[in-house]
Amino acid sequence: MRALFVILTFTRQDLIEKYSGSILGSLWSLLMPLVNILIFTIIFSKIMGARLSVSGLELDEYNYSLYLVSALLAWNCFAACVTRTTTIYQEKAGIISKVNIGLRTLPAYILLSETIIYVISMVFFTAFALIVGHSFGWTVLALPVLFLIQQIIAYSLGLIAATFSVFIRDIRELVAIVFHVWFWMTPIVYVVNILPDGLSSLMSFNPAIGFIEAYRDIILMNKLPGLEFMLTASLVALSLFVFAQYINKHLQSDIRDFI
Amino acid sequence: MITVDQLSKSFKLYKKPSDRLKELVMRKPYHTRHTVLNNLSFTVEDGEALAILGRNGAGKSTLLKILTGVLEPDTGTVQLSGKLTGLLELGTGFDFNLTGLQNIHTNGLLIGMSPEEIESKLEDIITFSELGHYIHEPIRTYSSGMVMRLAFSISIHAEPEIFLIDEALSVGDGHFQQKCMRKIRQFRANGGSIVFVSHDLNAVKMLCDRAIVLDKGNVVADSEPESAVNIYNQLLGTETEVEAPKLESSGYGTREALIEKATLTGVDSASQIITSGENAILTAHVNAKAPLESVTLGMMIRDRFGQDIFGTNTYHLNHPISLQAGQLVEFSFTLPMTLAPGKYTMSLALHEGSDHTRHCYHWWDNALNFEIAGIRGPQFAGVCNLSPTIQQRQTDM
Repeated sequence: MRALFVILTFTRQDLIEKYSGSILGSLWSLLMPLVNILIFTIIFSKIMGARLSVSGLELDEYNYSLYLVSALLAWNCFAACVTRTTTIYQEKAGIISKVNIGLRTLPAYILLSETIIYVISMVFFTAFALIVGHSFGWTVLALPVLFLIQQIIAYSLGLIAATFSVFIRDIRELVAIVFHVWFWMTPIVYVVNILPDGLSSLMSFNPAIGFIEAYRDIILMNKLPGLEFMLTASLVALSLFVFAQYINKHLQSDIRDFI
Repeated sequence: MITVDQLSKSFKLYKKPSDRLKELVMRKPYHTRHTVLNNLSFTVEDGEALAILGRNGAGKSTLLKILTGVLEPDTGTVQLSGKLTGLLELGTGFDFNLTGLQNIHTNGLLIGMSPEEIESKLEDIITFSELGHYIHEPIRTYSSGMVMRLAFSISIHAEPEIFLIDEALSVGDGHFQQKCMRKIRQFRANGGSIVFVSHDLNAVKMLCDRAIVLDKGNVVADSEPESAVNIYNQLLGTETEVEAPKLESSGYGTREALIEKATLTGVDSASQIITSGENAILTAHVNAKAPLESVTLGMMIRDRFGQDIFGTNTYHLNHPISLQAGQLVEFSFTLPMTLAPGKYTMSLALHEGSDHTRHCYHWWDNALNFEIAGIRGPQFAGVCNLSPTIQQRQTDM
């Protein structure tokens, strides 16, 4: 019960109080993704004039924006959750070393805060999509489920990285690089068919693609993601979760000693 | 109530942190063990205040961290009868960009208060901290004393059953310290348990009913504070003996006669930490290089501000001394130490006549250090105890 209040307070601090005293306040946490979206839209659909088509559908700049944003917001949330959780023990060392607080519940505030940013961004995105004439189907009801699975994976990966980074500081930099490469290895800002054949077959090993496609199925194509994918993803999420809990519990005493 | 049963804690020392992971993979140890607490058992009853004494590295902080739950023991158990907060968490999670008021909420939650509890205590916390309208300012504008006052105020209003105090009681000015002390006593009277870790031996004697002395992770004493403090002090003594100052380098004078050695010891404490009201013995060994008539041996006690508190000499005490060349003489003075608690120094002098201004053989500034800690008998305020008696009688108008 107390943990819940603490998590809520940390979330509030993370979202609002970080920017207290600044004029735009928490708007700043939305501004950065917005600038990203603008840059990608301009570069890819205007300047490079890339042949962007999915499933025979030519993407104009509005459609491209929808294509981009539907995946980018989810990716941003995922990446932020994992990278920020990785350093959580160093960041909150002052609190962990003084107050008895659960090592495995603490990351919850990062998940919560990033989820809120995602939800707010999605509200803006929905408004934009409706304005440019996109219509959503009832399939969007599957979105929360997909997002939940994604967040469980983010939490688990983050927790594993956080646990190890107590002992190996390089993990933080490693995670940052992995996510940078991973981002460009995933068809978020581009379409798979602009890639040469060798590279695109390599891509089938990228587990993120399944998620990105599921998001686009739900948001753009108004269809449900495949049941097989959803089951596999849930299973992966669950196993990662159990493994993360186990490894963290196993090293809990050492983490507290080291911090 | 706290029950600590056979508690042991050791830290695994690795050459580098990543060796801990190597251990997991290779399944063989890459560390050396450093035992900090060795099979510790003790209890603290409701309403009892226990002091933990020990040299640096004796395991005090580790013990407190285990009590808080921040560190996990290797073996043994800790049972707490209720909520525990500690002053070692003083200001935990304070965000210096937020106002005092906002920080009360965060810190309160962190130390285990519910939002409703914080809301209902808010007025009391602010009043006790004496921050007034500053409570609406960001705490980066506070002085360190103000931050401490706020932190203490939140901690004590969290209404714990067990309170850990780690050296942090030097909060703010004298007025606020006394207020804290009163609050802590009140907390105890209401049945709260206190664990107190401090090097302030006077505070230990004033506040605690019992003290345990830790040395290298073992309990070497568990008794009432006065004798525990003495044992602690003997431990300290074994450590500092080596670095006693060399006589040659200290003092000035014609050196026709020298104070070779001097000690000041409490009769009961057998150490330089003396309870107010206890007798102390000053012994001084004097060695004359030449035959000297009318030698005076004098002393001056100064407090930590360098203010003269008491001084006298053998001239005023009507004890004329004459020394032969090469003669080593021991003098001892019995002093009823009715001084107020605090740290003092004693300077010694050998000279001719009533004072050192005419002909000084040896002046030894700050020859001795001692501390008065705790008071025997009735409490008093000020510099020294005048031990008054009281009569009361009826008078007609």
